[in-house]
Amino acid sequence: MKRTKFLVAGVLVTLVLAGFVSLFASASPDGLESVLLTGCDTADGEIAGGTCVLQAAGDHEIGGAFADYGMSFLDNDVLGASLAGILGALFTLAAATGLFWLLARGKKAPQAEPAEHA
Amino acid sequence: MSDLALHIPTDVIDGPVSLAFALIAALAVGVCVVAARRGLDDRLVPLAGLATAFVFAAQMLNFPVAAGVSGHLLGGALAAALLGPWLGVLCVTVVIAIQALLFADGAVTALGLNVFNMALVATFVSYGVLVLTLKVLPRTRWGLGAAAFAAAVVSVVAASAGFLLQFWLGGEEVGQSFGAMAAAILGTHVLIGVGEGVITAGAITAVALARPDLVHALRGTPLAQGPARTIKETA
Repeated sequence: MKRTKFLVAGVLVTLVLAGFVSLFASASPDGLESVLLTGCDTADGEIAGGTCVLQAAGDHEIGGAFADYGMSFLDNDVLGASLAGILGALFTLAAATGLFWLLARGKKAPQAEPAEHA
Repeated sequence: MSDLALHIPTDVIDGPVSLAFALIAALAVGVCVVAARRGLDDRLVPLAGLATAFVFAAQMLNFPVAAGVSGHLLGGALAAALLGPWLGVLCVTVVIAIQALLFADGAVTALGLNVFNMALVATFVSYGVLVLTLKVLPRTRWGLGAAAFAAAVVSVVAASAGFLLQFWLGGEEVGQSFGAMAAAILGTHVLIGVGEGVITAGAITAVALARPDLVHALRGTPLAQGPARTIKETA
């Protein structure tokens, strides 16, 4: 497979995962959160009673419009989650490529050399 | 609190321990920046960017591991297998920073803690397991898949052990003893590791079949059979 084709296919798969497959992700607390919730009762994702480690957790310092992979300014939650995933993946792609490009400045790949040394 | 806190949130680990791990993480990531530059060239940049975006997307995909409990990819094993340990650490670090700064996932004050567990511990442990298992296993897509699976399982459990260390140093037991909590954390993360292992093995073998030269863990030695024999090809 050509390098460009491979990269384009990879970006497409990433966007489908972030914007569509993510809508079907499990909403249950993850392994860390569920253990930290031990001892508490939860209702609709909020702590309803009992005592557990996570009660000590404060609100996120920044929060922001994209908090929890949604878009607080959109009425449609599904659309918000999908767009937040797509925009997040695109932003990550741009930020990471930019940072790695800066880091690789002045370092050319060896031409016609088979891959890299081990 | 928010209803979707995937990484370590605010105030679960006390200030001094958070600060100490922030310093350790900053130092270690700094070392990775220097070391990653040695192996990096302009051809590798787009792949590293893509791998980072893929890890970001994959971390959103919580899969169920038990009744009422889910898990998601950490990405350390995938990053280590594709990019090597130094660049792999940077890849996961970028993801965790973006999640904390833009998506309120993982506290800003817990950045050092989260980077330590998911970027540093998970990636380096993965790389170690990959190198060891690839010495023993055959160089086939199944051998590579099994190595990636093992690396992912061990790395997720190691990352959760990193959290336990942090909690032991700077957390407060509430509602359960540390021992009970440790057993629960390690147990669920074995299950999450199996999920991460399946995803990582699938992704790595897919890349290895399409472009084996882009899999860092395979550098210099081609897969033994199938279309992956084209490792010498560069484009």
